[in-house]
Amino acid sequence: MALFRKDWTAHDADNWTKEDFWACVFSSLSYVLLMLGVALCFLFPIWGILTTLAGVVCVYLMYRAIDPKLRTISADYEAKQKAYLKELDRIMKWEEQ
Amino acid sequence: MVVFTFWDWLWLILYILVMVFSGVLFYALGKRSSSDFFLAGRGLPWWLPASSVYATHTATDTPMWMSGVIYRHGLTGIWYSFFAAWCAVSAYVSTRIFRRSLAYSQAEWQTLRFSGLGSELLRGWIAGWQVFMNMMILGWVGMAMGKVCHYAFGWDSWVGLVLFSSICAIYVLAAGYWGVVIADFQQGIVVFLGILIVSIWGVYEAGGPAGIVARLDQTGETWRVNPFHFSGWFTGDFPVAWFITMLFIALLGGIGMGTTFDWYVEAQRIQSAKTVRDASYSIWGGTALVLTRNALWAACIIGFYVLTPGIENVADYEMAWFRVGFEKLPAGMVGFFFATIVAIHLSTVASILNLGALYATRDLYQHYLNPHASEKRLVWVGRFSTILVLLGSFLYGSMMENITEWLIFAIWIMAAGIWLPNVLQVIWWRFNSWGYLSSWIANLGLSWLVVWILPKAGLLPVLPDYAQFWLLMLLGLLIYVPVTFMTPPDDMDHLVRYYVQSRPLGFWGPVRREAERRGLISIIDKEELHGAIS
Repeated sequence: MALFRKDWTAHDADNWTKEDFWACVFSSLSYVLLMLGVALCFLFPIWGILTTLAGVVCVYLMYRAIDPKLRTISADYEAKQKAYLKELDRIMKWEEQ
Repeated sequence: MVVFTFWDWLWLILYILVMVFSGVLFYALGKRSSSDFFLAGRGLPWWLPASSVYATHTATDTPMWMSGVIYRHGLTGIWYSFFAAWCAVSAYVSTRIFRRSLAYSQAEWQTLRFSGLGSELLRGWIAGWQVFMNMMILGWVGMAMGKVCHYAFGWDSWVGLVLFSSICAIYVLAAGYWGVVIADFQQGIVVFLGILIVSIWGVYEAGGPAGIVARLDQTGETWRVNPFHFSGWFTGDFPVAWFITMLFIALLGGIGMGTTFDWYVEAQRIQSAKTVRDASYSIWGGTALVLTRNALWAACIIGFYVLTPGIENVADYEMAWFRVGFEKLPAGMVGFFFATIVAIHLSTVASILNLGALYATRDLYQHYLNPHASEKRLVWVGRFSTILVLLGSFLYGSMMENITEWLIFAIWIMAAGIWLPNVLQVIWWRFNSWGYLSSWIANLGLSWLVVWILPKAGLLPVLPDYAQFWLLMLLGLLIYVPVTFMTPPDDMDHLVRYYVQSRPLGFWGPVRREAERRGLISIIDKEELHGAIS
């Protein structure tokens, strides 16, 4: 069983799922590790490199978790975007409330 | 005073010419429509808005601030800059929701999320406040540039303020957001290289990694290279309570919209990305660069501390990074360093000029004065607004010495009492425009009471900033939650339309069921969905 779902329907991708949660977790961890890792590279090089590499692994896991879902959401939404923009224009001109 | 050689001048002048030219080059694209002038036609790949996020948040005062906290607190001070990590969560939550709304600005989003008179009041308030705050921020960073020019060349501060902001205005006026984002991209590259070179140089001058640690060991200050050197649970300069509060504000703040002041800049970049996916990665990538940059600065400042310990005056040690660049780099590189400073400065000025003009044009002029204005007219109003924001920044910049404390307060109140309402407006369908509006009004009064009036009257002790945050959040809740329940919910038709388009996270059950009942979204069979996932 795959850790993260790879194939999405537009319908399913519109819902909030565990992939969103894990993307946020790995994203936050990667920020901490990359920031500390780069600083430590200049002070304790070995620890700095190891920490930075751990940050890169978190970036990869984040990407694996969220990218298939984001691709599906984007493709589905782009098809509707033109109509939404027309509606936004009508609201802006006080033609629709 | 810094002495420029021929090569220094050559670096600088060539760089400014290339930068202005590359911005102006996009004149033809910028003038096509207001969507182009403010959002580059919503067609950018993720790496362009990402570089703009990074370049914009690298301002002239940022290395001063980073120098100050690292020189004073050691590597622990790097956590002061970790507030930017709200983008770790925002990239996959609020960014996605906001991009799907298609709102040009956060002020416009208020009228898409809320309905009726309350939403219009919110739009007008946020638009006016943003025009004002963007002038203030420009004045602030402009005066920081004035101080750098005074340190380097002995110029009066106003020269640095007026000269470089005016040069920047050339390409912002010509090409709008197209000019901003293209210039930001090349400025971002120059800035990152400049910061990397100066940091490596600073560490090398201080004896390299081993030399720095050995020198700190000799003076009994190895705590300066420990990023988790807490001063206690609740006491001292860097208590654990502050650290936990910071993580809470930063990470959970990414669920909301406007939980930090940077959101308003990011919102424009989110809408300029060509897809939802590009928007998410642009915010994530830009902030990853911001945090990496902070790490480079931190290493450089620790090197500076080893070389020059014991500076007591804050204004002196806040110039640490600039001093490493001007005093330690070899001749011929100083011009490159100053070009880096100019890039740092102009990337912020350009973004803020265009952002202030967006709120003035889209949310004030078009929405309230001339809804049927032609695209050509809107572009010209955008240019006129850009000039107004620029002139306003000169005015505020000239007063900045006296109002710094007030500005810090203004930004603080913005973040504290309305932090939770900024989250609630995203995740809770019942939180209405009156609840949100009352949270702003309550926060204005409560923050004055908690920060200044009650401590002065002796009715409340002077609290550390993290305690002020929690207190303001709790006091605000007592006002805006009752207001929300005492006023009717937003119009269901309006909420359903917003829900179907934006698909927000959180407590939207009644709105979702109504959208399903109307056949606007499919009813999900939860068992079927669970089976598909597993």
